[in-house]
Amino acid sequence: MHLQSKILALVSVACWHVAVFAQPMPANGGGAGQDRGVAARTGARVATADAGMPVPTLTDQLDAAARRPIASAASAPDGGTLEPSLSDQLDAAAGKPVPATGAPPPAAAAAEGGSRFFQSLNPDISVILTGAAGYGQRAPLFLAGDDPDLKGGTSDHSAGITLQELEVAFQSIVDPYFRADVFLTIPNMSGLEIEEAFLTTTSLPAIQVKAGIFRSGFGRENGMHLHVQDFVQRPLINSYLGPDGLRPPGAQVSWLLPLPFFVQLTGEVFSVAAPDMLANFASPEPVSTFGGGRRTDLTYAGELKFFVPTSESLSVFGGLNVATGVTPGFAEGDTTLYQGARSMLYGADLYVKYKPPNQAVTYISLAWTSEYFLRTIGATGGNAGLTDGGFYTQLVLQIARRWFVGLRQDLLGWPSSEVQPLNSRTTLNLTFYPSEFSKLRGSVQYDALDSQASRLQQIAPSPVNSFAAYLQFEVAIGAHGAHKF
Amino acid sequence: MKRILILFAIAAGLVPQWASASEPLKVVTTIETLADLARRVGGEKVSVESLSHGYQDPHYVEAKPNLTISLHRADLLIRVGLDLEIGWLPILVTESRNDRIQPGQLGDLDTSTLVEVLDIPTTQLTRAMGDIHPKGNPHFWIPPVNAVRIAKGIAERLKQLRPEAKDYFEAQFAKFLSDIKGRAREWEAKAKPLAGMKVVTYHKSWTYVSKWLKLEEVSYVEIKPGIPPSPDHLLRLVALIKAEKVSALLMEDYYNKAIAQEVAGQTGAKLVPMPSDVGARPGVKTYFDLVDAILRNLDGVIR
Repeated sequence: MHLQSKILALVSVACWHVAVFAQPMPANGGGAGQDRGVAARTGARVATADAGMPVPTLTDQLDAAARRPIASAASAPDGGTLEPSLSDQLDAAAGKPVPATGAPPPAAAAAEGGSRFFQSLNPDISVILTGAAGYGQRAPLFLAGDDPDLKGGTSDHSAGITLQELEVAFQSIVDPYFRADVFLTIPNMSGLEIEEAFLTTTSLPAIQVKAGIFRSGFGRENGMHLHVQDFVQRPLINSYLGPDGLRPPGAQVSWLLPLPFFVQLTGEVFSVAAPDMLANFASPEPVSTFGGGRRTDLTYAGELKFFVPTSESLSVFGGLNVATGVTPGFAEGDTTLYQGARSMLYGADLYVKYKPPNQAVTYISLAWTSEYFLRTIGATGGNAGLTDGGFYTQLVLQIARRWFVGLRQDLLGWPSSEVQPLNSRTTLNLTFYPSEFSKLRGSVQYDALDSQASRLQQIAPSPVNSFAAYLQFEVAIGAHGAHKF
Repeated sequence: MKRILILFAIAAGLVPQWASASEPLKVVTTIETLADLARRVGGEKVSVESLSHGYQDPHYVEAKPNLTISLHRADLLIRVGLDLEIGWLPILVTESRNDRIQPGQLGDLDTSTLVEVLDIPTTQLTRAMGDIHPKGNPHFWIPPVNAVRIAKGIAERLKQLRPEAKDYFEAQFAKFLSDIKGRAREWEAKAKPLAGMKVVTYHKSWTYVSKWLKLEEVSYVEIKPGIPPSPDHLLRLVALIKAEKVSALLMEDYYNKAIAQEVAGQTGAKLVPMPSDVGARPGVKTYFDLVDAILRNLDGVIR
């Protein structure tokens, strides 16, 4: 091919009166490409399909290049104007047909002059790598699956380096009716998991159906992957939804209300698997809200989300959530308490963002997120019902183009119950984004526990109140992802 | 009972409502220049809305849920393409629950298919070069030839969506063509003295304008898109601007001017912030205002 194009170029230069020779040549064809480059730089006309002008010999082109002062090289020669007037150019532009619609016609697009790029029907692939190093006076309680797990017990130091998560994503449009998204994850080097794998309908009017394994729309934090979170660890209330959040196999129907503003109603049904190991009174694992009972005991969730664009700079995005299922209960000695009891989870979330749309004015932005969860577990087997809850509120302030400061207050067990003692956590962090595809984060946090809580006396964390610090890095390679609001 | 169910389904938006022929087509564009061109070609038979404003960086628009509502009702989405909107539009289109505007449908118009695309990379790209557009430079809507191509593409698409209004759209396009040709001589006269002017631009986003006006782009301030320039590059740039006697440093209104001001101050090149989209400044309300403003700003350099 290369040799062929060179020969063709030589032949063409030799017989320059053959018009429109350059057109069938590849754009990067060796010799011809150079000729065209010289021609372009000297301002001489390059043969194009619509003009059909003869190309001067290389000798003439070199002479012209040497003669012409560099400063005016780009300008059109004054004498004998070769270039058509703007008005004629506009007529020519209006005269050319536009490419056909529907499926992109590759041949037509190429003839238009250059929009030929490599076509691939492979899904978009991206890989996200999150590493963390840290030190804690003791291991944190109620750890989420993708929190950095530095091992260590509840009464000894937790320190080390971990690959917090490796995520691989495959995303593509399936056909005119569906798109599919698959996210595989290896959290803390603990084995391959399906973080999400679902289809989404694109052609149903007003409603949208998701099916497969996906993050529930319950609350705000649960729907987020690790790499879009503003802190090293998930909020503590994540434990109410399960160690990995609420992302079991299921189906979702969401409906965009026919209103002039954004209100979305979502209904979900999930088949939550029972936990690998039942929480017990002496372990730091949280008591599972869902995943108990028989296989036919499904978990149902419903969410109402609304968006208020208060002004161009200030937006308010909120949600009201409810979910119900059956708890697997927890072990105390040889007995299992609350096994099969109906559990209810209520949630409210609010996201307020201030970001002026014009960066030329300022880079400053401020995002405030708060979520509250309340859980009830019904009375069974002579045990009275339980009610507990949790809350977090966080502020993330963008202080410069690539720098963000975050502050979060977590309260898990607020109100507390026999199975959910009070755990307060205060986190302060600083994040630097070298580019859109990488970030570095330093974080310090302080955990305070209610030492009088009966369950904590059995877990016996030491020290009761502990300090921890983390360094985290994250890089993303591959396809450019879009960001949810 | 059946009738009540059907009424409910219609009220709930579960039955698609095709706009009747008498109603204007709902057109949504990603940038304001495309909205202005769509209004000119569509006339009274379209209602047009832009998802972003001219004073925003079109790469970084927030995917706010209220934009979903606009897309949900749209009959036609007109976008720039070449991944300009990749960070925010795909997610909104998916969530719009509107099959008319999904990629490949008649209601999805990628205007980059209408123009001659420049800066298509011919060598292997890596993100060490910054956040480069792998399919070519998407900042093509300013030169008049491209505006005519885009307008024609919009007219053709509107004709396909509303075949009965074919004559109307053709007449509207003819009017736009005669309007823009009416300005051609004046623009040409203003462009002529600009030919050969040496410029440094903030990003490599003025390629199409430079080609049209025959400006000579010597270098770029933020040479790697999305990554602030290194002190090394800025030192070299200052030396280059002085050595090449570059007269102007061009940049979009929506970029932070701190670094560019510093470079301009050290070299004597004139910093020229320019609108790059309709709506970028209060006075730039139409495509014609946009071209006028750009020519006026550049004219200020040589005076």
